[in-house]
Amino acid sequence: MDSEDEFISGMSSDQEMDDDLEDSLGEDFDDVDQGLDFDTQDKDIKSNHKPHEVEFKVIGPQEIQAAQDKHIDEVALILGLPTETCAILLRYFHWNKDRLIESYMDRPEQVLENAGFGPSSDGPPKTKVVLGFVCDICCEDEQGMETYAMKCDHRFCVDCYRQYLTHKIKDEGEAARIQCPREGCSRIVDSKSLDLLITGDVHERYQALLTRTYVDDKENLKWCPAPNCEYAIECGIKKRQLNQIVPSVHCTCSHSFCFGCTLNEHQPTPCSLVKKWLKKCEDDSETANWISANTKECPECGSTIEKNGGCNHMTCRKCKHEFCWICMGPWSEHGTSWYNCNRFEEKSGSEARDAQAKSRQSLERYLHYYNRYANHEQSAKLDKDLYLKTEKKMTNLQTMSGMSWIEVQFLEQASQTLQQCRQTLKWTYAFAFYLQRENLAHIFEDNQKDLEMAVENLSEMFEKPTAELAGLKVDMINKTAYCHKRRIILLSDTAENLKNGEWKFIVDLE
Amino acid sequence: MSLCQNRLQEERKQWRRDHPFGFFAKPQRNAQGVLDLKKWECGIPGKEKTLWEGGLFKLDVIFPDGKFVPPLFHPNVYPSGTVCLSILNEEEGWKPAITIKQILLGIQALLDDPNPESPAQAEAYNLFKKDPAAYERKVKHIVKENPAP
Repeated sequence: MDSEDEFISGMSSDQEMDDDLEDSLGEDFDDVDQGLDFDTQDKDIKSNHKPHEVEFKVIGPQEIQAAQDKHIDEVALILGLPTETCAILLRYFHWNKDRLIESYMDRPEQVLENAGFGPSSDGPPKTKVVLGFVCDICCEDEQGMETYAMKCDHRFCVDCYRQYLTHKIKDEGEAARIQCPREGCSRIVDSKSLDLLITGDVHERYQALLTRTYVDDKENLKWCPAPNCEYAIECGIKKRQLNQIVPSVHCTCSHSFCFGCTLNEHQPTPCSLVKKWLKKCEDDSETANWISANTKECPECGSTIEKNGGCNHMTCRKCKHEFCWICMGPWSEHGTSWYNCNRFEEKSGSEARDAQAKSRQSLERYLHYYNRYANHEQSAKLDKDLYLKTEKKMTNLQTMSGMSWIEVQFLEQASQTLQQCRQTLKWTYAFAFYLQRENLAHIFEDNQKDLEMAVENLSEMFEKPTAELAGLKVDMINKTAYCHKRRIILLSDTAENLKNGEWKFIVDLE
Repeated sequence: MSLCQNRLQEERKQWRRDHPFGFFAKPQRNAQGVLDLKKWECGIPGKEKTLWEGGLFKLDVIFPDGKFVPPLFHPNVYPSGTVCLSILNEEEGWKPAITIKQILLGIQALLDDPNPESPAQAEAYNLFKKDPAAYERKVKHIVKENPAP
């Protein structure tokens, strides 16, 4: 499923889409906006947002650095310590400023000591030549060898120390929490020691990794998961809110993802359901379901048997036990009533059948939703090819009908809307699978149906030969707008109910 | 001499000077009869006052890997004989200054103190989890099969 998601994220974001469409189709969308405006006390969602949208900010590498520096300066001002020291302390405290200040006020020596600072009289760390020293790593005992030890006094030769740090930084991507090379010593290698021992590109990498810890440690910041993307997203949604809101965010690199779980955008389904659904689709629990729905066990040896012929007289291949497929009783008791079991149904027999019917039903239910989910996934994949052809279509259309570039943009918009709607529709099926049957579920399904029909209409139109497209322009623009509108309605409605805890699911949102 | 050879030579010296009682660790000779420092044969005795007391378990160490020969019945030993222990994993607890002595002592401690969080073989793990009595019997049997001299 990755490929088409990547593709979707390769397009302009939701927000831009809104703006684009609003420009060209102004009034329609203003109506929608007004119709869906709602009052909210929630600070995280401003009233100029639709209920399914969250407020977020994309921040670039410079801004991340600036934000870090700001924190460091603040702490330096309060504690009266040099900025480098504060930076190390902050990293040590996982960028929890308040906790750092509180701890430092209580027992400054201890805090400094733990973060890798000895008493200040020691001066900056230095490498030393120790007489008769043997390095525990390389066992070298050459005279005049430079050695280094931190406060823990575990001394190694500079070469070994350097190699160890380089390995940790370059190969394992560790930075703020590298331990002393001695077995059992958990002292963190502080950045002053690192500055002394590493050089050049390792140092650069170290700095980059340190910057990463800032974003990693902050709850309101997340890296954009797109490959090679340098941006981070700032969003106020907390972990505990994830059952009330599905925070889709859009990075400047045009990747759209969920701030809660960093998976690709999955509105309207909340993260916990997405996790459950993906697991269900992935693991073989459904194989087990199939087995229980389609097979029975030999009453003698327990081998699993699938009946593939009409005869009810079963003979187990393994243990040669003969039994009746209908009542599961031994065949010998059937006397002459072959092929037609008319024996009284014992309670245990009917219970076994009930259980089987139930499991069969649950499998069918799952398959119903899964097929539709997979279908939209598949369609989105096929539409991807279509999208690649769109550009060609647009050029063709320009030459054939004499339309200008700007006049054929409706095709691209239609294609983008299709992609987005399919992505949403896909997840509505996972959502519906976990929904309890009640009035709200009916409304949801109606919305789903409306969107699906609109999407299929548009999709059909999209596949028409290029020659006909010019004549369909107005119709297509309308249909695109309609799809977009239906999608917003569905998402807003779902989001609002989710926020108010109105949905009833068949599983617990943990 | 390479860093690795140098270090192993020194480890060998250290071991000969002093090593814990009951353990053995010696480099093997190759086909030409030359000492191969990268290939050690080691033995770990079961700790006193544990189920494993009285046993001696052979471990072939071909640096940087080591495995029990034959594979040992233990929840954290893979069917191949490889040991699953944090200090042996470079990404977890391994440190460059860790010595052969520390590793062997670490494995000895692991014998009677398995880590159920990272099972490595189904047989021993399942028995350990589900039927401690049978697990004990089996261990005692294994100790008998691998007696310390």
